[in-house]
Amino acid sequence: MNQKKLKHDFKNIFLCAALLGSLASACTNSSSTDNSSTNQADPTNSDQVTLTLLAYDSFTPSKNIFDAFTLETGVKVEIALGGDAGELVTKAALTAGNPQGDVLWGVDNTMLSRAIEAKIFSAYQTKNINDLDESARKLISNFEVAPVDTGDVCLNYDVKWFADREIAPPLTLRALTSANYANLLVVPSPITSSPGLAFMLATIAEFGEDGWSEYWQQLKQNGVLIVDGWNEAYYTEFSGSSGKGDRPIVVSYGSSPPAEMIYASPKPATAPTAVAALTCYRQVEFAGVLRGTKHQREAEMLVDYLTSIAFQQDLPLTLFVYPANTKAKLPAEFLKYSLRPELPLQIDPELIAKNRTTWLDTFTNKVLR
Amino acid sequence: MINAYRHTSKWLVVAPIVVMLLFVVAPVLNIFSMAIQIDSFALLTTPTTRNVVWFTTWQAIISTIVVLFLAMPIAAITANFDFFGRRMLISLISVPFILPTVVVGVAFLELLPTSIHRSALAIIIAHIYFNFGLVVRIISTRWQQIHPHLEDAARTLGASRTRLFLTVTLPLLKKSLRSAGLLVFLMCFTSYGVVRILGGPARSTIETEIYFRAMQLGDVSGALVLSISQLVVVGVLILLTTQFGTTNSAEFRQTIYSRIRRPQNFGQKLFIASIALISTVAVLAPLVSVVRRSILVGERTNFFAWHIIFTDPEIFKSLTTSLKYAVFTIAVSTTIGLFSACAIIYGSTRYRFLNILTTLPVVVSAVTLGLGLIITFDVNPIDWRGAWLMMPIAHCLVAIPIVMRIISPTIRDLPNGLRDASQTLGATTWKMWRTIDLRIIQPALLTAAAVACAVSLGEFGASSFLVRRNNETLPLMISRLLSRPGETIQAQAYAIATLLIVACVAIIGVVDYFGTEKHR
Repeated sequence: MNQKKLKHDFKNIFLCAALLGSLASACTNSSSTDNSSTNQADPTNSDQVTLTLLAYDSFTPSKNIFDAFTLETGVKVEIALGGDAGELVTKAALTAGNPQGDVLWGVDNTMLSRAIEAKIFSAYQTKNINDLDESARKLISNFEVAPVDTGDVCLNYDVKWFADREIAPPLTLRALTSANYANLLVVPSPITSSPGLAFMLATIAEFGEDGWSEYWQQLKQNGVLIVDGWNEAYYTEFSGSSGKGDRPIVVSYGSSPPAEMIYASPKPATAPTAVAALTCYRQVEFAGVLRGTKHQREAEMLVDYLTSIAFQQDLPLTLFVYPANTKAKLPAEFLKYSLRPELPLQIDPELIAKNRTTWLDTFTNKVLR
Repeated sequence: MINAYRHTSKWLVVAPIVVMLLFVVAPVLNIFSMAIQIDSFALLTTPTTRNVVWFTTWQAIISTIVVLFLAMPIAAITANFDFFGRRMLISLISVPFILPTVVVGVAFLELLPTSIHRSALAIIIAHIYFNFGLVVRIISTRWQQIHPHLEDAARTLGASRTRLFLTVTLPLLKKSLRSAGLLVFLMCFTSYGVVRILGGPARSTIETEIYFRAMQLGDVSGALVLSISQLVVVGVLILLTTQFGTTNSAEFRQTIYSRIRRPQNFGQKLFIASIALISTVAVLAPLVSVVRRSILVGERTNFFAWHIIFTDPEIFKSLTTSLKYAVFTIAVSTTIGLFSACAIIYGSTRYRFLNILTTLPVVVSAVTLGLGLIITFDVNPIDWRGAWLMMPIAHCLVAIPIVMRIISPTIRDLPNGLRDASQTLGATTWKMWRTIDLRIIQPALLTAAAVACAVSLGEFGASSFLVRRNNETLPLMISRLLSRPGETIQAQAYAIATLLIVACVAIIGVVDYFGTEKHR
């Protein structure tokens, strides 16, 4: 009676299960071939090495930039994005000595001591070392990493907004506490954003370890808006960029104005945003060979390539940073609209390493909550 | 006799135990033994931690209370009245529960006025949205099981409607209210994605604080201490929910008495219509705003984003990755979930510990588990850190406890008489299982598979942690596109979010059409 139908049902289920099983194993097969991880040397093809370059999510160089390297050395490069810079360093610290990749791009000077303390890198003096920015080179004692780019985190303002109202734009950090600029500033949080952290460090450099939290109290009373990340601050809340925000002062980069010009269509006659030169904090980013890589020699060649003129010249228009290699040529448009402060604010990496957590805790308790 | 299965259950427990020990217990113990330092426990007494714990708790309490309160009227009409579109309404309000957090997050960013972005209110509203369908289903199911004679008797004895509700209905619903409430509290207490997207920098739950500690401060030890404290709170609550949790997935149990009747007067009709209308609008508004953004560039309607998402190879790749992982998750988590559910019930009390073991992935914070996985699978032959497999495995870990809880009640409630009869008639154990048990749990299995699919499609927290070069799933893609400038790129993110919404609606459709109503 019902027996036949039962059998039929069961057959269906069985077929489905078999189908699912084979699909799953098909996935396994297809992916296991193209996913030879660098840590497991591929036995079938021993002369072809593929390096894994770990980088933060916003690492977006030109698409085929590593082709020249592969052509020259026979070594392939795969980029593995590992979250933001903080996530990258935390994961690298936990896997120090047995890394998830071969080279790491993107430790900055606020996290440098943390990375060096955790012994993430194996020291290598790149052959381009003499061409690299001298002040950036000074930050590293034993060639653990090589500086790859520098940039400045500065206040940006909406030129038109201030011109229309005939108000002078703010030129110093101190100015931001004046009633003229009440409710005009938006900043990314130092807890979740690296330019946010740089800006907090700028205020510490400017007002000292005793004065900075007082300063933030005043900013708070003056209606500063603190948001999660730089994207939200710049593209959503700031009035001078593509967003329709209503705050004309934002924490961004010294190289943000050229980005506004170069990627705008149609091109405006004058730059819509400008930088307050006295508010800049210098950020330096580094790359290095990860300790424990199975391909030490190839990884070193990649660091050479990352600091070479060919690669460095790609940086200004893709990552909007200054090349660390002083021989790299900067595009004219980039030079014209970006601002390079002569005396940026800076704090010694050692001091940052020692106080980072305390400062961020202070910020969380006194300013955020 | 259920005893016939006892012998087999010995073998069934192996797979779930291996999976949980290998992918949850070992990694977590590993990270604890490697990174935790005793002096980090001082962190528990700092004002920062006190603030975080306090915020986590009060927002969860308020969300829970409001959800329970709002769910009552809808549970009341769906449990008592037969009206046009009743089943559709029940399906519709279930959709938010399986929506990806990323999608709900962006939907509310779009819908809510900017003045309440980055506020506790935004978080609470999203939490209510997420959980309210679940609560309605739990309460409504229990309500339908209340014998109408009880109420008739009370009415005959002269009780007013209010009195009837307070002294008869409410006490009978108490158990399901408590179990639903605990469940919601748990969801809100461990919330991560919603808090990150809608809370802004000032609002941090324990779960997000664990992330900040580990990632931004590099204080892994401190993060682990926080995750232990969360584990304790959540662990206790889970034990409570499983104790009271017998009604959790009872929607598949048939009701014995039909108390559902057509509305009798205009007042009832008006009440039903307005409640149904309000809840429909509440569910749909955020979804519509997502769809709207996907076809709106500047002030004009524009289908460019839709054109791109169907032609761009990168987006197509994410789509196939997501589908691939969903298939994997369905296959693995329903199998493991079924095994452990069967083992627990057939093995009577012997394998009760599996209940706790399989709940671990939910109890342990995602960051802790993620870091544990990274440092555990780092030696050949299991250096899987770079392999694609890690992410679908994480999806399975999240799905298994849910799958189990969907399947268990059906097996538990299966009358033993059926099995006895079949055994008397000479059926083998295997034949008995597949002709009786399997056939009866089929709808539940289907539901479980569909929910596992939704979990995999929407999973964000663990995925964002394990993503490697070539395996970006759709929710990760949404979050990446949203962080890039340009309205057309944003529109693409909303278009992908729309796709996921459609998938979730389809899943609920399948569950409610084929899963609950056994075609009899």
